[in-house]
Amino acid sequence: MRSRRVAAVILIVVGAVVLQTTFFGRIRLITPDLVLLVSVLLALTRIKPEIVLATAFTSGVVVDLLGSSLLGLRAIVFTSAAYVALRTRERADIGRIATAIWAGLVTLIGVLLLVLVGTLFGQSSILGEHVFSRLLTVPLANMLIAFLIAPLLVRVVDQDPAALRY
Amino acid sequence: MLTRDRQPSSDRALPTFISLVVLGILLMTLHVRLEGGGVVDILRTGTQAIVSPLQRGVSYVVNPIADAIEGLGDISGLREENIALRAALEESQAELIAVEDQLARLDLLEDLYGLDELDSDLGRTVANVIGRPDPFDASFIIDRGSSHGIVVGQPVIDSNGFVVGSVSSVTPVSATIVPITASREGVIVLVGSQVGSLTSLVNSDEMRLEITDAKEPVLATERVLTSAASVSFPAGLPVGEVVEDLAIASGGITGVVQPYVDIDTLRLVVVLAWPADPISAAGQDEVQVEETTTTTISETTTTEGG
Repeated sequence: MRSRRVAAVILIVVGAVVLQTTFFGRIRLITPDLVLLVSVLLALTRIKPEIVLATAFTSGVVVDLLGSSLLGLRAIVFTSAAYVALRTRERADIGRIATAIWAGLVTLIGVLLLVLVGTLFGQSSILGEHVFSRLLTVPLANMLIAFLIAPLLVRVVDQDPAALRY
Repeated sequence: MLTRDRQPSSDRALPTFISLVVLGILLMTLHVRLEGGGVVDILRTGTQAIVSPLQRGVSYVVNPIADAIEGLGDISGLREENIALRAALEESQAELIAVEDQLARLDLLEDLYGLDELDSDLGRTVANVIGRPDPFDASFIIDRGSSHGIVVGQPVIDSNGFVVGSVSSVTPVSATIVPITASREGVIVLVGSQVGSLTSLVNSDEMRLEITDAKEPVLATERVLTSAASVSFPAGLPVGEVVEDLAIASGGITGVVQPYVDIDTLRLVVVLAWPADPISAAGQDEVQVEETTTTTISETTTTEGG
């Protein structure tokens, strides 16, 4: 059971990284941060909070290593977003729309933190074109995707078909 | 409200969170101290080497879908774009006639003086853009790497020859490109006969032009080319054009340049094998800019002459 859950989390994170860097890197119509969203949504599962934080940190390190910015920047941001998600996850249990809004708000905190820490560390590649518009479009896109996939992700990770059936 | 029976988050979550944030800060400090090299470079290359085959495979499948979605999004603007393009085409055809005349004269003069185009024998590697790390990172990943002769620091242009950026990291099968609009390093450029520098601007696809020792004003639409003083790009590559007329103020000129390349729409790029000898060039210090440039040009000229 545990090994299947670990495999599911690894597959979801790797899938999110690959989809983010390929498919969502190509289209301008919708610009989510899929890896950040997965880090946030894992807080809704029954995984231990420490493991959720460690997964968020590792996902952030991987995204940092794939890009050109400072190593550790997204690791801190994703971990912080996951921590906020863990502390506020009861608010997402009301229903599917509440889960989506909650995911969007936690993403907003994450991207604001990313831009703030990126600015402090002089990361010009983060402060490039569309930075301010993306502070809104990324949380909105994550909200939409969370509405579509949050229950499914929780059911797959928890191996519980009844999870998040409102 | 329906609350699920989860693991409580009060006991070890906070210490774990603090430990991970401290670890993240240590990683950032390490990266800054190592200037992106050493262990960080090895980790980056290793991760990209693992992920890039997956990215290539997924790109092959999702690119047509992404193109279809992009096409749907662009339909509304196509009519206006067509009208603008027709007007631009007529203008370009008129300019083309004038340019053909000038080219004929240039050919004649080159024949007379026995000149060849500088750097015409530069190695070129054509590569596809296969991904971008995340919405906030302007860098992008291409499907060619060190096994195709790509080296960190090499300049990258688009299919029209316009400057895109430079290679920041390489794996055997992929490379990460940082566009000039997102790079912390400026580009030394030539505007008319004046040398200046281009640096990136926050939240903008435009770049800031600065000419410290200006001799004459700069006019709008004037072309901005890479300068021979640049250690990152070969001389004469088109970068962009000046947005508005710029007057001299306190002996210098400051203004905005619109790069020719739209990074978001790039699908294909060309990596230039420049400088000809990257190992010796990498050993040069930034202070020795003039020395490096002189060496490169003389080497190229000697090769072509020989």
